[in-house]
Amino acid sequence: MDNAAVQPALFDWVEDWVSSYASTAGSGDILRDSFARGETMWDAMLAGVAAFTNGDLANAAERVHRQARELGTAYRLPGESEERPWPLSPLPLVLGERDWRVIEAGVAQRAELHERLLDDLYGPQALVKEGLLPAAAVTGSPHFQRGMIDIDPPGGHRLYIYAADLGRGPDGEWRVLGDHLRAPTGAGYALENRLALSRVMGEHLNRLNVQRLAPFFEAFRQGMVAGCRRSEPRIALLTPGRFNQSYPEQAHLARYMGMLLVEGSDLAVHDDRLFVRTIDGLKRVDAVWRRMDSRWVDPLAFDSHSQIGVPGLMDAMAAGNAVVANMPGCGVGEARGLAAFLPRLSRRLLNVELLLPNTATWWCGQPREAAEVEAMFDRLLIAPAFETAAGLKDNRPVIGATLDADARAALIAAMRARPMDYVGQEVVRLSTMPSVIDGVMAPRPFTLRVFAARNGRGQWQVMPGGFARLGEDADVRATVMGEGVSSADVTVVAGALTEPHPAGSRLPIHIRRNPGTLQSRAADNLFWLGRYLERGEAHLRLVRAALGGTIDADGGMALAPATIDRIAEQLVASGAAAKTARAAERGSAQRDVAALAFAALDNGEESASVRALLATARGIAEGTRERLSADVWRLLDTSLPPLTQADAATMLNRATAFQERFSALAGLAAENMARTSGWRFHDLGRRLERAAETCRLARAFAGDEASVDDLATLLDICDSQISYRARYPEGIALDAVRDLILLDPWNPRSLAYQVDRIVGHLRALPSLRDDGMPEEQVAMATHVAATMAVANAASTDSEAMLGLENRLYALSDAIGARYFLQGSQIVRSTATIRLA
Amino acid sequence: MIYEVTHSTTFDYDAPMRYARCNLRLEPIDWPGQSLLSFSLHVAPEGPISPSHVAAYAGHIARMVVEQPVTELVITARARLSVNRVAALPAPDDPSVAGVARAAVAVADLGVMSPANYIYPSPMIALTPDIAAWCADSLSPGRGIVEAAYELTSRIKAAFRYDGAATETDTTPAEAFDRRAGVCQDFAQVMIAGLRAAGLPAAYVSGYLRTIPPAGKPRLIGADATHAWVMLWCGPARGWLGFDPTNGVGMNADHILTAIGRDYADIAPIDGIFVGQSGQSIKVSVDVAPIE
Repeated sequence: MDNAAVQPALFDWVEDWVSSYASTAGSGDILRDSFARGETMWDAMLAGVAAFTNGDLANAAERVHRQARELGTAYRLPGESEERPWPLSPLPLVLGERDWRVIEAGVAQRAELHERLLDDLYGPQALVKEGLLPAAAVTGSPHFQRGMIDIDPPGGHRLYIYAADLGRGPDGEWRVLGDHLRAPTGAGYALENRLALSRVMGEHLNRLNVQRLAPFFEAFRQGMVAGCRRSEPRIALLTPGRFNQSYPEQAHLARYMGMLLVEGSDLAVHDDRLFVRTIDGLKRVDAVWRRMDSRWVDPLAFDSHSQIGVPGLMDAMAAGNAVVANMPGCGVGEARGLAAFLPRLSRRLLNVELLLPNTATWWCGQPREAAEVEAMFDRLLIAPAFETAAGLKDNRPVIGATLDADARAALIAAMRARPMDYVGQEVVRLSTMPSVIDGVMAPRPFTLRVFAARNGRGQWQVMPGGFARLGEDADVRATVMGEGVSSADVTVVAGALTEPHPAGSRLPIHIRRNPGTLQSRAADNLFWLGRYLERGEAHLRLVRAALGGTIDADGGMALAPATIDRIAEQLVASGAAAKTARAAERGSAQRDVAALAFAALDNGEESASVRALLATARGIAEGTRERLSADVWRLLDTSLPPLTQADAATMLNRATAFQERFSALAGLAAENMARTSGWRFHDLGRRLERAAETCRLARAFAGDEASVDDLATLLDICDSQISYRARYPEGIALDAVRDLILLDPWNPRSLAYQVDRIVGHLRALPSLRDDGMPEEQVAMATHVAATMAVANAASTDSEAMLGLENRLYALSDAIGARYFLQGSQIVRSTATIRLA
Repeated sequence: MIYEVTHSTTFDYDAPMRYARCNLRLEPIDWPGQSLLSFSLHVAPEGPISPSHVAAYAGHIARMVVEQPVTELVITARARLSVNRVAALPAPDDPSVAGVARAAVAVADLGVMSPANYIYPSPMIALTPDIAAWCADSLSPGRGIVEAAYELTSRIKAAFRYDGAATETDTTPAEAFDRRAGVCQDFAQVMIAGLRAAGLPAAYVSGYLRTIPPAGKPRLIGADATHAWVMLWCGPARGWLGFDPTNGVGMNADHILTAIGRDYADIAPIDGIFVGQSGQSIKVSVDVAPIE
């Protein structure tokens, strides 16, 4: 490190931090140990933190939090529908080569051990026959899937990604606390944590010579590619959907790794082949990274109640046509009851000892071990061997010594009735690492999740980093820490210089411009996102017209009462203020336009208020988050607090705030979205909604009896005042307004303009017909355009507009029927006939 | 005894059902005292049926795919079987309840009928303290296993009311226990929950029961029903023995086994997905005809 470039004050700050920290940290703290060995990497990291915050740790925490928020890193606990930010500590865990070599080799070894164990359990079952592993230590796991026995995994492997939770003891030794073999979560968080940290620390992180994470993800992808039969395979990430707690992580990883993010209903199996439903018809899928429990993955192979799986996926897998990572059934290796045997199995399967020791575990399914656990009861952690164990509250582990006499007796009785449900485990004590609490460095116990993936050559590659979780208070027993309360990036400082960022790299990359596969569901979401945003903006314009019409400089009405009535009518008929209107009708005969406007703007209870439509748009966007930029998501995700005052100034301010948001979203869509089919669907939604809204407004404000105030309002709502005045200084006339708003193909807010764009999009989208004839939705749109082409101001009366509006809604249905997943919902997926 | 079993299931749809993909677990297994002589499976309208293959638990699965719109779907299974068995009797040298539990957890076998598969809770059968305590009265550790199982079988028969309206397909054993009512599936699952709570390997059996018409009355064709009962592993010497808590008897020559699993979900006769717009109504007709 180039010390001359660093301000001299930095090391003073660092020294202050460290000296006060050293007085609170217990023995075995990782920072203290590192200093004791004379290592400099923590110094360098802390100097980096000091440099970007001028020695203010509270500021460091704030800046890292802000970055994490900006990136959209969020974490959802089971049962919560709102995301909450996963608090990221500003201080990463720094691992030097000495620790990392041990971890890397140990985790890779353990991943390989699990694969060999699974090969045996789902194959010859020699370990059980030889008596090395009791059958009941296997069958206790709800993840042991008998249906997977004797099915050869396509590509030859069951495991493609593996994670281990590690704890560091006060003696500095790393040990394994748990294994994750099904769908390990956290790799995406590790990636986002690193991004947040590097945005804040920038060059300081580079100077630390921290190993990069990207090669790991590339290796993981290559590992799945290697298992596929086709040379340019399509790989999908199968998500349980946006209500899953790690959905944001899944969306992020899908985008980062270039996988299709799919839900079960996006996939279909025909003739033992797996397909994704796209706007271009069915497309082959070669591999699936499943992020749902195997129980739900295929209702025909596992739980028939599953509505989120892919019926027949296991048939495609068994036929060798779909790699499933990780293969269902892998979870059997996660059980504590089985982990007890891993040291023995390592000797048998790998001919070596485990490099990273297990947490010492005794499975009570064996009489001798059960007796030992009872004898050591007060010194051990009593835990479920599998998932359920009577006498343990919520099936959570408990430290024997913490139980009172009654609870102790009850638990021991339960353990004697079904000993195979329990293990005894040593109580693991964790060492600490620095965290920032109230602006000072404070020691907190931590665990570390490390990931290993199979690379393109079939070997295990370990992510140089990971996901550290920190406990809330200073209690260092692993069980007490639970899931932790905050996270930290894990940086591995390499001895040798890391490879520079591959700018200008000569990687042999196949150039493509094709936007790739668009799933029907994603097209559906983008279309409706467009429609809801456009509808929200339309309702906002109505609200502004209402506010502008009722508020005048003189304190009187700016518009004629009949026009104001029409605006109010639109607010009610559109659903923006329907409930409020119904409630008011019971009270007074007079319509309170200001109250309607207030409801239409900000009342979340109204189904189509601006606030409600933005919330709906957010929900839809969440379902296709991997296709939206972080900027779009942030605009949708940040909600404004509900208004408490209904005065004109407050409402106008809020209307302006909403308008800015709609404009920003429209601007991002217009300027930043690549012109893919996805963009076309989004724009189709916007155009279709705007066209239909324009028809509706023309019926209300440009009927044959329309007043000047009506027409002025229409121009205002359709944002065409300025164009009109420039073109017709003579004044406002019905035919001229109709022509500008409805028929002028050069006015970007006119009906004709929207219809032209709709036709253009539909013609550019793929057709499934090979006879050259237009598909239904293209024919319908072309017909609407033809009607528009021969219309004139006199013919575009209210009746004609109603006809067009209905044809536009029918067109929307036709687009849905052709491109989206309509009608593929499973109406019944359950075991149907009971035995009497 | 030779039986001819006809099991036909009719699905009716108000609006066309467009797509179905189902497991058919209708082909009876061979089992000590029972052998399958012939079997045929017929679906109308005709659709592809994959040949039966071995299921995850003890049974056969055929896979049916319907890819054309249908408003009525009829699945008919015909099986001819030879059944020769009498109900097992308790013996003085039967292993004890505790001995069977100890032996089950120690087996070195992961095969489909390994008792190790059947000692744990399963997707539809959780182990609950109420059922455990009630059943434990019959399952004292030193008691002979077969005698204990018969007592539990009789107690369930006596304490529970047969009531088809009291429960549904996915009623849990705990709910059926609280109501002290249900059908064969509920009684079998309650008994299994109680046996497993004591560490005993208990499996769920689907099949048919021959009904004997009252004296002087003719046998009603199609009035028989599918049936479910319990298999209990009674130690390595006695192996798996059947107990029928619905009728308070041991498995005998009137019982015809179709499949054995951990619970109903492993061996439901028909399950899968049906895609369409409306609900479906289902009629099941079973005929167990003794041939000779």
